[in-house]
Amino acid sequence: MLNSLLSIAVDLTLITLVLALAAFGLAIVYGLVGVINMGHGALLTLGAYLTWQATAWQIPFPLAVLFAACGVCVIGLIFEHLVIRHFYERPFDTLLLTWAFFMIVTEVIKIVFGTDLRTVSNPLPGAIDLGGVRVPVYRATVALIAVGVIGATAWLFYRTSLGIRIRGLIQNREVAGLLGLNISLTYKIVFGIGAFMAGLAGGLISPMLSIDPYIGNVYLVRSFFVVLVGGMGQLLSGTLIGSFFTGGSETLFALFSSQAVAQTAVFALAILILRFRPNGILKNK
Amino acid sequence: MSHANSTIKRRPRAAHFGGENAAAFALLALLVVAPFVAGDYIAYILPQYMLYGLLAVSLVMLWGVVGIVSFGQAAFFAIGAYAMGLCMGQSDLGFNSGYAGLASGALAGGLLAGVTGWFLFSAGVKATYFVLITLALSIITEQVAVSQSQLTGGFNGMFVNRMALSPFEGGAIAGDIALYFFVLGVVAVVYALLRWLMASSFGTVLAGVRENEDRLTALGYRIDQYKTLAFALSGAIAGLAGALYATTASFVSPSLAGVLFSTQVVVWVAIGGRSSLLGGLVGAMVVATASNYLSATMPQYWQLILGVAFMLVIIFFKDGFAGMFARLGQRLRPREVS
Amino acid sequence: MSALLQTQGLGKTFRGLAANADIDFAIEPRSIHCVIGPNGAGKTTFLSMISGHLAPSSGRIFYNNADITRLATVARARSGIARKFQTPSVFHGLTTRTNIELAALRGSGSRGERRARIDEVLETIGLSAQAQRLAAHLSHGQRQWLEIGMLLAMQAKVLLLDEPAAGMTAGETAATGALLQKLVAERGLAIIVIEHNMDFIRDLDAEITVLHLGRVIANGRFDEIAADPRVADVYLGQQA
Repeated sequence: MLNSLLSIAVDLTLITLVLALAAFGLAIVYGLVGVINMGHGALLTLGAYLTWQATAWQIPFPLAVLFAACGVCVIGLIFEHLVIRHFYERPFDTLLLTWAFFMIVTEVIKIVFGTDLRTVSNPLPGAIDLGGVRVPVYRATVALIAVGVIGATAWLFYRTSLGIRIRGLIQNREVAGLLGLNISLTYKIVFGIGAFMAGLAGGLISPMLSIDPYIGNVYLVRSFFVVLVGGMGQLLSGTLIGSFFTGGSETLFALFSSQAVAQTAVFALAILILRFRPNGILKNK
Repeated sequence: MSHANSTIKRRPRAAHFGGENAAAFALLALLVVAPFVAGDYIAYILPQYMLYGLLAVSLVMLWGVVGIVSFGQAAFFAIGAYAMGLCMGQSDLGFNSGYAGLASGALAGGLLAGVTGWFLFSAGVKATYFVLITLALSIITEQVAVSQSQLTGGFNGMFVNRMALSPFEGGAIAGDIALYFFVLGVVAVVYALLRWLMASSFGTVLAGVRENEDRLTALGYRIDQYKTLAFALSGAIAGLAGALYATTASFVSPSLAGVLFSTQVVVWVAIGGRSSLLGGLVGAMVVATASNYLSATMPQYWQLILGVAFMLVIIFFKDGFAGMFARLGQRLRPREVS
Repeated sequence: MSALLQTQGLGKTFRGLAANADIDFAIEPRSIHCVIGPNGAGKTTFLSMISGHLAPSSGRIFYNNADITRLATVARARSGIARKFQTPSVFHGLTTRTNIELAALRGSGSRGERRARIDEVLETIGLSAQAQRLAAHLSHGQRQWLEIGMLLAMQAKVLLLDEPAAGMTAGETAATGALLQKLVAERGLAIIVIEHNMDFIRDLDAEITVLHLGRVIANGRFDEIAADPRVADVYLGQQA
């Protein structure tokens, strides 16, 4: 009994952290520049494919992931520079444009990599024993990386002068403009970091599943719920709580029913929360 | 407080374009002669595209008139289609199961949209969140369709018989041509009714919702009620289109509710013209027809081209092709007092 | 006789700061009442509490002797309290006539009566010739009139006008003043006006309430107010 509880707890922790990693890029871009990046899922997929490609070139896995994250970051920046930067004033149009971006990236992935399933071999096979519960080493590592990355980014935004400048800029554009701060560059940096995070998450997730051009879709919708449930603008606590809620309840529901029913239940629950706590479960209006 | 935000939102477009009537009659004439001129395959396939067109129309009345974008139209379409499938599967309803299917398809779509809409609009959920939730609605519907296989046939889908067009048992109206004109009739009537409704007081209030919600509230309108009604009507039209589609295509599968199909509807409307019911209708028919041919000849690139076209329309041509034609028409015609 | 609209001890605090405090105010039918005061005096806050856009922190609002303090904006609008916003709030993408029509649909009467009312309102606000133009193509002043026209078309009894003459030429300002006086005389409306333009206020020749830091510091006709040293202090203090 105790053992199975522990096992559930470990499972929940791993799922929460991996989901938080996947959602973090979306949370940054939405929370800081107010763009709902519908292309987030496609960037995640792209990160997985680039990681696969790099490992196929015999590049060691950690470098492959880094290569993928940088590649995705560059793609994201190009899109930002060509299109999105002209539309920050019109959030609804950015939603449609990033959706078009999602379609384009997905199709390019299909053209370049084909639609066959790809697999990245697990760089850290095996499992450790934690009080009688077997924890896969790689998943645990990714969870730890997630904690590190989210912590580091939060530190960047809340503790460094660059981060404070960025947040100041975003909170008051007029004043920042008067002070001569470069608004468009700041937005670009934020968008780039978001894309980098998506690529990183895609790369790190790639050994856990078979890669197809649509793997990002599932994460896209889950990530939205993470952000919506956690509440925008609450980078650290919001993302973690949203992930815990979304990933956790899905795991719990799946214990009693099928995966599909569990996901449906979570969606329904997330919609309920959105209806009664439109600013996330932390904030009461 | 600041006077700086007196910048006018540049949306000087009415809910309809001049010349839409003429274009609609031209299209109707074209569709009436098409099956006789273009042959059997057209008579078989065109009704499906007309129903895509009707689905697009259900989005135009939201996006173009009320200013709400729903990524969930495919969900209502699929629910209507499954409703038709289930009705046609009952052998002894005691009355024409095809018409029962159409009614329950429209009802199911309208009910789901109405309940969802009331639930969200009464809380004043933001437009962007509305998009995300309706997208989730499509995904949920697809998952339910896959998992409830004893009802829906799961991944394998569901075969649906052609409905008997004669309202009474044992009628003798049948065949592709008959079904073609039945579909054409339904699409034309729904389109005409919707045009009339959007020109009525109700439609004017909906346009007011698009233009300025605060002003409308200050005039004493309950905008959540208007939005809910509009969304329910839109869902009912999508459901009706889906039901008729099921019996026309003879097959329903979960992908009708999926993310990809949901997106297609938005793309059709964006390209055809979000501000014109006819634009959406034609956009859907043309793009779907082109998809059919081009995805056979260049399967890899077609979706990509569509994605790029979608992006370009959003950036450069807010009103799609209908808007371009309308502007062209205005330039050719002597200027009216405006 | 009792007032048409009345407030008792009305107050609003934002995060501990009093934007409005203890405001007693009353307006009769067939009259104009101006609310003036320097920037930040709480004039718009006051108007927003009457229109229902802001919930008061204290005090009560009565309309036709009924307590409407907790009534929603929509319900107040339906009972005849109508507001014009500081920046003209019209339907840019619709024609002038359709703008008025949307308001007229809220009023009573048959289709024919409504049509007649729309024509009459367009005539009253001087926009008959502009009926088929999009509101987006009207001048700033015309848009102000259009918004007032909407309040007339919905058959409001109390008009709340937030800076109706803002951004108008001298000629347009005078025309607006004449329009308001005509509405009071011919339709018996009660009109609450917030304004900065002192020429406009003087020409309206109405009861005036002066707000400063959220409180009423003076009441009276224009000449009394102009002679009041406290009012002069407040305005001079602003200019210094």
